[in-house]
Amino acid sequence: MTAHGESVDPRPLRVVRDGGYPDWEAVYQDNATWVYRTIFARVGNRADAEDLTAEVFLAALRPMRLTASVGEVRAYLRATARTVLAAHWRETLGREITSIDDDIEQPPESEEAISTAPQRVAEVLERLPDNYRGILELRFLQGRSIKESAAELGVSVANAKVLQHRALRLAAQVNEKDET
Amino acid sequence: MNARGLRRYVDDLLRGRRPKPFRPDDFEAAQIRTAIDLQAARLGSDAPREEFLTDLRQRLAAQASGTSQPVGKPGATRRHVIVGTSAAAAAAVAAVSIDRTVIGGGQVADGYDNGSGELTPNTGRWTRVAASAEVPEGVMHPFDLGSVVGFVRRVDGKPEAVSGVCTHQGCRLWFDAPDDRLRCPCHSTSFSPAGQVLTHQLPIAPKPLPTLMVREQGGAIEVFVPPRPNEPA
Repeated sequence: MTAHGESVDPRPLRVVRDGGYPDWEAVYQDNATWVYRTIFARVGNRADAEDLTAEVFLAALRPMRLTASVGEVRAYLRATARTVLAAHWRETLGREITSIDDDIEQPPESEEAISTAPQRVAEVLERLPDNYRGILELRFLQGRSIKESAAELGVSVANAKVLQHRALRLAAQVNEKDET
Repeated sequence: MNARGLRRYVDDLLRGRRPKPFRPDDFEAAQIRTAIDLQAARLGSDAPREEFLTDLRQRLAAQASGTSQPVGKPGATRRHVIVGTSAAAAAAVAAVSIDRTVIGGGQVADGYDNGSGELTPNTGRWTRVAASAEVPEGVMHPFDLGSVVGFVRRVDGKPEAVSGVCTHQGCRLWFDAPDDRLRCPCHSTSFSPAGQVLTHQLPIAPKPLPTLMVREQGGAIEVFVPPRPNEPA
């Protein structure tokens, strides 16, 4: 039996490739949107979502200068986003408001991993009284002004404000109860 | 309690402004969480702006070419300066497992440490693992040679072999024939017959399985492996 390097066919048995990224730009193009959406779902506003997304890529692409497999890159971006988001909450509100799970079954770019807010919101709204649900839908889901919302619901602006305030309190209670 | 802080925070969210920091109590935190959910549930609210994506691309290009000015650029907020360091530090830690990958520009990355892509022992010998007839196309044939365990199969007539040990923590894989994949009993990781990671539940994907050098000769399939642990080389 041959046991020497020369006699051994050195042809590498190539692992089937899953199509990694040729460069950082491809990493960015392919992943910027889901990273942004993942963060937006947890901060709820564009300014913070943009800043934090930028932080993720600026931090991640530096050590990552050379690419890994698509799956590895995405897991890594999600891990970086988790760190960045945690730091954001520590610095702004002094406590963790939302987080990015590291224990997910779905790939990071899937809808389930990006955000479960729509499902959660639907469940919560369903359990609110009509006027509470109405004000939250108008204000948050449809982005209507307080004035428009008041007109729509047939109440005064002052009433609409109170309604919104109470609706959010109740929704938060329902939401938290679901979690525990 | 900080009713005003909360009201302002929610108001800023609704107006699409950057909310201002304050110190919420538990229930206020819960309300913020709910308000964020509501914001995020608005259809199409979470699509990134084209201008933002373009701008960030330019900043990344500047960073990549070494001309970056991370601070002081318009748009850089105070938080960039503060968080920049901690995020980079954390990222560096997270990056450890993939940092070794060295792939030239333009080449399509297979994404893994090329050094461990194929198991090539310093010394070894061609060792029979199966008769040719035992490995028809589509069969995953297990073998255990003491120093190496793995699986051989036939692809387009040629034998191929992968290690049978999970790259995460070394648990021994089994072949789930109905699902055509190798499964790890420890953390639900699974690999394709070629060794690619198919599913995992770990924060960072484990590496693919190393392939083994394999050949077919004289009606047998042989794998190049180091001597058994209890044998001299």
